Amino acid sequence: MSADRLSVRHDDGEPLLQVAELRTHFRTPRGMVRAVDGVTFTLERGKALGVVGESGSGKTVLARTVMGLLPKRNVNTSGSVRFGGVEMLGLPQRQMRELWGTEMAMVFQDPMSSLNPLMKVGKQITEPLRFHMGMGKSDSIATAERLLRDVRIPEPRRRLNQYPHELSGGMRQRVMIAIALACGPNLLFADEPTTALDVTVQSQILDLIAEQRRDRNMAVILVTHDLGVVANYTDEIAVMYAGRLVEKAPTRTLFSNMKMPYTKALLRSIPKLNLPSHTRLDTIPGRPPDLVHPPRGCRFAPRCANARDRCTEEEPPLLAADSDDHTYACWYPVGSPEYREREEQLKRLDDRRVLAAEEAG
Amino acid sequence: MRYLLQRFVQFLIVFVVVTFIVLAATRIGSSDPLRDLAGGQVNQERLEEVAADYPYLDKPLVIQYGYWMTDIVTGDWGYSYYQSQSVMDMFKQRAPATFFIVFWALVIGLLIALPVGIYSAYRRDRIFDKATSLSTFATISMPSLVVAVLLLYAVAARTDLFPTVGGSNYVAPWDNPYEHFKNFFLPALTLGVGIGGVWSRLLRADMVLTLQSDFVTLAKAKGISPMRILWVHALRASVLSLITSVALQLGALISGSIIAEQFFGPRGLGDRLVFAIQQNDLLTLQAIAVVIVAVVVVANLAVDLLYAVVDPRIRAARALT
Ligand SMILES: Nc1ncnc2c1ncn2[C@@H]1O[C@H](COP(=O)(O)OP(=O)(O)OP(=O)(O)O)[C@@H](O)[C@H]1O
Ligand code: SF4
Ligand SMILES: [Mg+2]
Repeated sequence: MSADRLSVRHDDGEPLLQVAELRTHFRTPRGMVRAVDGVTFTLERGKALGVVGESGSGKTVLARTVMGLLPKRNVNTSGSVRFGGVEMLGLPQRQMRELWGTEMAMVFQDPMSSLNPLMKVGKQITEPLRFHMGMGKSDSIATAERLLRDVRIPEPRRRLNQYPHELSGGMRQRVMIAIALACGPNLLFADEPTTALDVTVQSQILDLIAEQRRDRNMAVILVTHDLGVVANYTDEIAVMYAGRLVEKAPTRTLFSNMKMPYTKALLRSIPKLNLPSHTRLDTIPGRPPDLVHPPRGCRFAPRCANARDRCTEEEPPLLAADSDDHTYACWYPVGSPEYREREEQLKRLDDRRVLAAEEAG
Repeated sequence: MRYLLQRFVQFLIVFVVVTFIVLAATRIGSSDPLRDLAGGQVNQERLEEVAADYPYLDKPLVIQYGYWMTDIVTGDWGYSYYQSQSVMDMFKQRAPATFFIVFWALVIGLLIALPVGIYSAYRRDRIFDKATSLSTFATISMPSLVVAVLLLYAVAARTDLFPTVGGSNYVAPWDNPYEHFKNFFLPALTLGVGIGGVWSRLLRADMVLTLQSDFVTLAKAKGISPMRILWVHALRASVLSLITSVALQLGALISGSIIAEQFFGPRGLGDRLVFAIQQNDLLTLQAIAVVIVAVVVVANLAVDLLYAVVDPRIRAARALT
């Protein structure tokens, strides 16, 4: 192609992905929905980043904005998304197309609605190989078969001629992964790749993604609302709340030293494996804020047990914790004197309630 | 297989019921069926001759239907004394013209609907969409009669290219493609533009929904071209209502062609039908009506089969029944 060919760099110290002050606002009749509202992060080659947050916190919108997949209709985006040193925000679709599939790919949440129900599985895999990479027909079929084998689908040759509805949910998700891997991307977005699947299949799919990541030295952004899921599969975790990143740290640091009361609440809400899937032990009380009129100050304040006056007046900045690569946005983080004081109070309150209950009973 | 059989039987029942209504209607519309069959003002001798041909006229309607349908199915459509021709001969002469008007109207309609429907959905609310939405609205609200008159004045009357009122005889495309084109272009355009507008809107509405679905976003994320996404992925998932409408509109197209034939070019079944109605020419009337019913029923059966071709899930569900 011509002079406007993108010059994505994969050599020098350039990070794979740099997102800065990214904002995605939807113009709706209700007003401006600030689905992503100033997100900044960096992802190195071959690393896995987990993006966690409740439903509606903007994870999918973030992923789709970064990949450039959002329709332009009624959407305002601003900020910067640099991929391999190239600014991607505002690139025309024609140029984005050079990156889709070959540089970045996505695995969607629901494999039933994301595969074309009217097209055979084989064709859906060979399609990008042929019409994007210019591979011949028989080569592409051989490659597709190899990909299906890579993602552990039994009888790959037979599967090529089947339609999505003839496959199980887990199998379909494997096909999606095969499609995403087809053109050898350097960055894979996995947007809740397991929420639509059975618990037993979930870890298989995550293991598969982890294995392919190692084999291909591919970076992964794993989006989920389940902190437990990302623990074993990521190098770093970013916690989202109401369109903003509120805490980000290497996975181990985050679990040993989480600072945001919201992160802590998320952790408490993890479904336990021995319970039927999707039962929550302790969901966070209250609802996520309205993204058209987000609350002043800290957006989590209306639901935060630790909130004080300052929280509803001033927005906490994203600050570095003890180590440089751990950042969080909270005035009274977990472990601070104020936090401990409030914790004590709550505990006393609880004890009193238990006592009262015992006396009454 | 069982599904197919079921559908076939269903359509057969529809065919029988509707054709029965046709027969009943002609009997109600005629005070003296025997005389109408014989050709109106004829002498006693002729009446007796015809009575011998149709000995069942005084039987109950259901019995009459049996005799009549047997005749129709075996190709014995009778001799029309009004047209001085066997009905079958008349049909063979005139049907091709009507067929080609309807056929080309369908082709023109689809040639309009596919690109307009697809592209206006793709560029929703942009200039192309707004412009086509306005113009399809115009063509939809304009009766084909008006379109015919407009074309007549605007094109046919000003150039020698196309025949005008009472124009020409039927020319087969394989005999003389150019003459065929000249004869059929305007009447087909008259009908095709209107129907194309309807289909454009139908397809656009379905395409808009399809384009929002996840599998289209996934196709995009694979990096394949927008044209391929639109024509290969999205179109196929959006054609079911269009296909249905094509079959449903077939009857309307046939009656439309009867009007179009009055304005332009090739003489088809239209003026025979009008003539037959005026004269109470029952044989011609019944034969044409039965053929139209048959065509519409078969088209709907074909649509049912096409559903399964388009969507493997429908195929699978039917295989189970
Ligand atoms: N096209 C759109 N127009 C208007 N609002 C939108 C649009 N897409 C998403 N939103 C809003 O943006 C917010 C974030 O949505 P998003 O889908 O990113 O959440 P999520 O974190 O992925 O949640 P989930 O876990 O349920 O997938 C939601 O409040 C949603 O209603
Ligand atoms: S800033 Fe205040 S309200 Fe927000 S999370 Fe921290 S303590 Fe809670
Ligand atoms: Mg989501």
